[in-house]
Amino acid sequence: MGIIGLGPHGERAAPPERVVLLPNDITLARRKRFRVVIVMHTLESDWSKQLVQGIIGTLGDAGAIVVEVVDCGFSAEAQINALKRIRLMQLDCVISLPITSEAVAEAHSMIAATGTRLVLVDNVPSGLLPFKDYASLVSADNYGLGMMAAEMLAEHVPKNGRVALLGYDKEFFATNEREISFSRWISTKRPDITTDIFHFDSLRTVGKLANDLLTQPFRPSGVFVVWDTPCVEVLKVMNQIGIYVPTTTIDLGSEVASSLAQDGPVKGIAAQRPFQQGESVGKTTVTDLLGRKCPEWIALPGLAVRQSNVAESYQAIWRMPAPRAILDGLAPR
Amino acid sequence: MSQSQSQANQQRQRGRPRLTETAAASVAELLGLVRKHQALTRLELEKISSFGRAVVSDRLTVLSELGLAHENETGISGGGRVPRIVSFSKSRAVLVAASIDQSSVSVALSDLSGNLTAQHHEQGDLGLDASDAADRMITLIRLMLSRQTKLPDLWGVSISVPGPIGPSGNGRPLTSTPEFLKGWNESKLVERLMAEFLVPVWLIPSVETMTVGELHGGTGKNNDCMLFIKTGKRFTAGLIYEGRPYRGATGAVGLIGQLPATHEGNLGTLDSLAGAEFIEQAALREARNGTSEHLTDLLNKGGELTLNDICQAAQLGDPVCVSIITASGKLVGTVLATLLNMLNPQCVILAGALAQTNDIFLAAVREAVYGASHPLATRDLQILQSQLGNTAGLLGAAHICLDYLFEPKMLRGWVMAGTPLKHPDIACLRQLKIDSDGLI
Repeated sequence: MGIIGLGPHGERAAPPERVVLLPNDITLARRKRFRVVIVMHTLESDWSKQLVQGIIGTLGDAGAIVVEVVDCGFSAEAQINALKRIRLMQLDCVISLPITSEAVAEAHSMIAATGTRLVLVDNVPSGLLPFKDYASLVSADNYGLGMMAAEMLAEHVPKNGRVALLGYDKEFFATNEREISFSRWISTKRPDITTDIFHFDSLRTVGKLANDLLTQPFRPSGVFVVWDTPCVEVLKVMNQIGIYVPTTTIDLGSEVASSLAQDGPVKGIAAQRPFQQGESVGKTTVTDLLGRKCPEWIALPGLAVRQSNVAESYQAIWRMPAPRAILDGLAPR
Repeated sequence: MSQSQSQANQQRQRGRPRLTETAAASVAELLGLVRKHQALTRLELEKISSFGRAVVSDRLTVLSELGLAHENETGISGGGRVPRIVSFSKSRAVLVAASIDQSSVSVALSDLSGNLTAQHHEQGDLGLDASDAADRMITLIRLMLSRQTKLPDLWGVSISVPGPIGPSGNGRPLTSTPEFLKGWNESKLVERLMAEFLVPVWLIPSVETMTVGELHGGTGKNNDCMLFIKTGKRFTAGLIYEGRPYRGATGAVGLIGQLPATHEGNLGTLDSLAGAEFIEQAALREARNGTSEHLTDLLNKGGELTLNDICQAAQLGDPVCVSIITASGKLVGTVLATLLNMLNPQCVILAGALAQTNDIFLAAVREAVYGASHPLATRDLQILQSQLGNTAGLLGAAHICLDYLFEPKMLRGWVMAGTPLKHPDIACLRQLKIDSDGLI
């Protein structure tokens, strides 16, 4: 599947293959021993862990040293403080996943102003420009992921049904794109379905939102949650109240993958490829530090995961065997 | 401002009724100074405006009550008391900036300083039904506004469109949709936006919005004389002269794609001999002939070759693609040299997929320009790639709308009401629309 979305400034995507490290590049980079810090929105999710592994491994191959990996715990304030602190560390590059667009913009600009190179993951703070403020943005094709999730959910929604879209309250490129493309797919391909959009501002509020939605008299016949961690909260609520509604989400986390394998409420997952994305971030960082221009937006296509391909998709994405909970769910009964 | 502060102010001002007619001019002048950061404190406002302390104090109270300015932060003391910084309340309202071009639809929200606080771009085909494209744009605007935690006060919708608007535009809001491309007047885009959001609507040629966007936030920032070239299927140009966009006699400035050009003995226009269609056709021929393994592979995989594919292949070093892009760049450079000899700008900004996805095009343009221009015209000239991409059009659309709303005469007409929607000219547009709702 090709890249469907456009970048944060309307750019056309470049494939990850555009950035290649040749043996000569590796030799040159090893001599320079670049120093890099990774600033993540969280290190709790499976997605973040895999992405960071991909980055660290690739940087390690090129002799670049990751001097710190910061976990901002979804707090813009923590990210601002971290960026202010690491500004003084004489780094070659900061790889950052900006938590919001507005609040952390100035802190990221300040990194760029010090001459430290900036490579962004999944989001661009407001006002920052490619080449001037940052080298490149590496993300999944979030627009395509939203469409995949809509298509997989629509297969389980009856005619004239209602679906609830649980979106993220913050201004964030990746989740915005998923939300917009999900709504667009439903309105054009299944115009009989009504989409009601709700927003949560933190993982703490998702459970209450899901509880309110599922216990109301006219509950939705499908739910889409913009990524897997809040989706896990929604699944917990479904288990607590015993009401199960077809659900789709994005990112193949272990818990949502188990629900998919075990015939649970999760009916489809539009998966990102965090390890490959991490590798691409690593290659982009080294290429930029060697003084070569990278594309302004590098995007990786998503993968539609249904029950029929969940085990092999798990292996392909996480680079490890599928856990027992998934394999048991798929065993012939 | 709290209710008690407001009551206290009213108490102090009892017996000193404001003369709204005369106050409007001074309030507008002070707001203009604060908005453009020409004065940051009360003292600076007094010095620059020549109004007395009492007048400045009174007008700032008015601006604060109207939600247009505030004094929260403290500045640096010049020896006496630490001054309060007077700031323009840029979040008082929002504008919608949008853009339609041949292959995409974009929508953004802008604050009153022209900063884009949210933006979204998606692929769309203008070759399809204009009414569908208008529907999509309206849906996206609704979606962007609904995502705001608090429903914002909307002051206008400004749209960048891919064609000349004619003299009716010229920076002013419209009441009906002009035929900027075939079939668009029937889409009733302007009429529908006015009916739904009850705000003025601007349609502005994309080359003008992109030029203004580059002037305010891009590579061309702060250039008084700048030439902007948009590349792609067609070539268009925008000109900044004395810091302002030059629109020409009928708003049709910059149609450089129609200029004559010659390539390998063939006479044609710049569009037909250097544009995206020409490049795609040339690459297709090479792919079919098998002269470029890379292009043949791409063609076999995707069934077509896009401008993006060819530019990326050139950047990766494919010699056939490098040669095609170089030929296009040289042709553009030759035409550009003529314009530069005439206009002598400080800088040229090249935008569009052809210019922004590779460095080969830029190098070829520079080579041709330096070879064919008078040395005086190119001595300090900068030829640069745009860094804004599609954002340039959105940024420019927002700034053109703001320039209209905050133009001194216009500002005097609404400042005492606190919103331009109550300016007689705009209120009249809104009333017109409400009255004719049944006709839409």
